[in-house]
Amino acid sequence: MSLIETARLTKKYNGNAAVDNVSLSIREGMCTALLGPNGAGKTTTLNMLTGLIKPTEGDIDFNKDYAGDRRKHIGYLPQHPKFYGWMTGEEYVSFSAELAGLSKKKAKESTNEMLSLVGLKEDRKKKVSGYSGGMKQRLGIAQALVHEPKLVILDEPVSALDPIGRREILELMKKLKQHTSILFSTHVLHDAEEVSDDIFIMKKGKIIIEGGLSELQRKYQQPAFFIETEKAMDNWLSSINEKSWIRQSKLDKKKLTLTVEDVDTARDALLKDPMLHKLKLLKFEVAKTSLEDLFMKVMR
Amino acid sequence: MMKQWGVLFKKEWTESARNFKWLWLPVVFILLGVMQPLTSYYFADIIENFGGLPEGAVLDIPPPSGAEVLAGTLGQFSQIGFLVLVLAFMGTVAGEKSHGTHLMVLVKPVSYFNYLTAKWVHILLISLSSFVIGFAGAVYYTALLIETVPVNNVLSGGAVYALWITFFMTLVLCLSALIKSTAIVAFGSLGTALLMSVLSMYTPDLMKWSPGMLSSHSQMLFFSGNAGDGFWVSVGMTFILITGIMILTIYLFNKKEVAGHTE
Repeated sequence: MSLIETARLTKKYNGNAAVDNVSLSIREGMCTALLGPNGAGKTTTLNMLTGLIKPTEGDIDFNKDYAGDRRKHIGYLPQHPKFYGWMTGEEYVSFSAELAGLSKKKAKESTNEMLSLVGLKEDRKKKVSGYSGGMKQRLGIAQALVHEPKLVILDEPVSALDPIGRREILELMKKLKQHTSILFSTHVLHDAEEVSDDIFIMKKGKIIIEGGLSELQRKYQQPAFFIETEKAMDNWLSSINEKSWIRQSKLDKKKLTLTVEDVDTARDALLKDPMLHKLKLLKFEVAKTSLEDLFMKVMR
Repeated sequence: MMKQWGVLFKKEWTESARNFKWLWLPVVFILLGVMQPLTSYYFADIIENFGGLPEGAVLDIPPPSGAEVLAGTLGQFSQIGFLVLVLAFMGTVAGEKSHGTHLMVLVKPVSYFNYLTAKWVHILLISLSSFVIGFAGAVYYTALLIETVPVNNVLSGGAVYALWITFFMTLVLCLSALIKSTAIVAFGSLGTALLMSVLSMYTPDLMKWSPGMLSSHSQMLFFSGNAGDGFWVSVGMTFILITGIMILTIYLFNKKEVAGHTE
């Protein structure tokens, strides 16, 4: 049973669709990445799920087991979280908890727990205005989690951070995965590959690829050969280009990338080819294309 | 529901305490309130010392009545006092929207009614308390230096003026909730109040219903203990307008999108 489902979700601004006919299904207990370049409509999609933006068309269904105002079951961290700087970190999280309906006592307990989880226990009495970018991001995660939501939505949680902050948040997300469902957006494939179970790739308001991470890897990672020679490969390449075991070839001066159907067939054929030997091999490597190649291809 | 209202109200209250609005707004109103009786009392001395009158000129200005001084105080409140109130509260919603701090509040299961009315009650409370303190200062010094004004006149006139402030602050909240630019909020609310007052002054017959009549009613109450013609019409209409503006504001705020188009 999915946690939240959208059907033909569309948002138009002045007639232009920022989000176009998006049907998503977020599985409970999973970490889902919404991947795409800037301007793909990721934030708009997330904002429709949270209720901050009203869809022009389409429906959003939250799991029937969790009744009432959808916002009760969602924790949200915007891309650029803005806090009341005059509050302390502790005050802000506890304020968030009480807004979500927790009793004062429960709010206090939950606040303490969350602040330790995100590593802000030491700084809890400091004014938020004095927090660093990474600390604010962690505070943002604490306020999103404090009412124990069923779904945590994080909008570009790591993109504004330095490498250390980025690492911290990714590790934190791995920890969170065990307790709650996460939906996050990113424009970095590597982040999506690292923490998510499911991936939706968006481009120009549309979902163009979706699936489980391992399924996508299986489907789109293809065996490939990297070949380097001393002499130019153009003639040789055109002589073998029609072979059935070749999927694709990309020649860059004296470096060739060959994506193939099957490693063994291709290796045998290539190594038995006398013409290749005459080109004076420098390098012959068997590898796999990464999802990056797919990502770059669809984004172009 | 009520509990959440309390949480939001407490946030407003704490914010005003931390940035000292609870201190400087009453101080401004006390200064404005005390200045009028003091300058009225010392007016003759001031002119004599600094006015550069020719030698031997006899200054014979009749001292103002207590009611005149109190009416003058309200005049100060309506000009400088309102300006200060607007500057203090024009950003109550608009500022949160332009900073983006409202996003993480309204993404929680927060009712927009609670969000707006908590702010409304808070700015009313702080404005009206500042007014009461400043006005009490004015009444005290008027009694001390000039003359006592009958208590009933003072209380009824003050109460009517408080209603005018309430109307004005409701307007400020409404514009702040619906407009993003704080400058436009300030111009809009001050402009509307000014227009209402001016129209009431020049065409009182047409403006009997207008909340703009309230400050002249309160002045008349100081002088005679009786309000002018159409008093209850304008009081009733003001209550209706306040309620109407609040309902409209909450309705429109609900319809508006919380998050803008970012990309």
